[in-house]
Amino acid sequence: MNKDDCQRYLEDPEANAAHLRTCAKCNAEAMALAEKADVEAPSIDLNALPLAPWEGSSHRAWPLVLGTSAVVVIVALALLDAAGMSPLHVVEGSLTSMEAIRTQLNRAANSLRAASLGWQVAFALAFIVVNGLLIALLRRAPRGIDA
Amino acid sequence: MRRMLRLFLPLTVVAASMVTAMVAAPFEADVHTPQGFADATTMLQKTAVSAALLVAWMIAAVALTLLSGREIRYSSVEMRASALHCFALGLVALTSFALTAIVLNYLIPYHVGVPLLFALGVFAILTKIYGMVAVFHAVGTLIAGSRTRDQLAGRKWLRGDLAMVVIGVLILGAIRLIPIVGLIVWSLTSVFGIGTALATKFGRREPWFLAFRAVES
Repeated sequence: MNKDDCQRYLEDPEANAAHLRTCAKCNAEAMALAEKADVEAPSIDLNALPLAPWEGSSHRAWPLVLGTSAVVVIVALALLDAAGMSPLHVVEGSLTSMEAIRTQLNRAANSLRAASLGWQVAFALAFIVVNGLLIALLRRAPRGIDA
Repeated sequence: MRRMLRLFLPLTVVAASMVTAMVAAPFEADVHTPQGFADATTMLQKTAVSAALLVAWMIAAVALTLLSGREIRYSSVEMRASALHCFALGLVALTSFALTAIVLNYLIPYHVGVPLLFALGVFAILTKIYGMVAVFHAVGTLIAGSRTRDQLAGRKWLRGDLAMVVIGVLILGAIRLIPIVGLIVWSLTSVFGIGTALATKFGRREPWFLAFRAVES
């Protein structure tokens, strides 16, 4: 078979399809290519794959949320009533606990002011070390998605 | 940018209000003055306060999840993927907050301490709220999350970020009612939450610091 015919077939297989009937070599190559093209991709069993965190995450279960919230509110109000308190008492109580934190903070700052120079330097060193450690830990990239 | 504003603007307002209220509160106010109740009554009061705070947490968790469910989910995944790092980061961050607060309190006479202390308080409260909601999501997913697609498809209500957060609030809220254990568990939860919030930059998947590289010629 003429090499030019084979070249023409390779350049435009559809226009020179008749060449396959006369050339055994090109015919064999075409058959092999067709067999490869017919190979199906292996089927994927979706259920075998792990569930991604985002799957189904956009669903909003309002009955569950509203029902649970209503139950929690009713229980809280009943307990407050039984204890003879109002929700305002809870708010005031929370503020008082924050006030305790503020008192501790003031006390610590006053102690620092009254401390010797050595202690103040030690505190400054501790401050630098802890914040340096914090920055070092913050530099690590999160790995949640790739885990 | 708009998403970030939508998330942080309301939270900042809440946190700023809390810090303002804390600072403006009467110094020696004591609402827990003994009123002649027996110990049982005191315990009932504590339980009632815990339940009322649980309502506040529930509202905050639902609102935050509706505003930024994807960020909460990402932080929750990060907490489950690298729990030790989040815990270590939370511990260091708490220590850093405390030391920084003392330093800023020390600077109050120099007039720069007050605004910085205020900003630190707002940031700490934001971090705590966001982190706690991420922990709620993680706990809810660990305990009630779907394991397979068939299970997920078969569920009508118990799926989605919102449901997981609510389940987490309920579980941790129930643990909170146990006298000593509850306090310990919630303290650990706070450490985890603060660590998770900072490790993921509030679920935004961005680095905290820019990496400077030398220009290649």
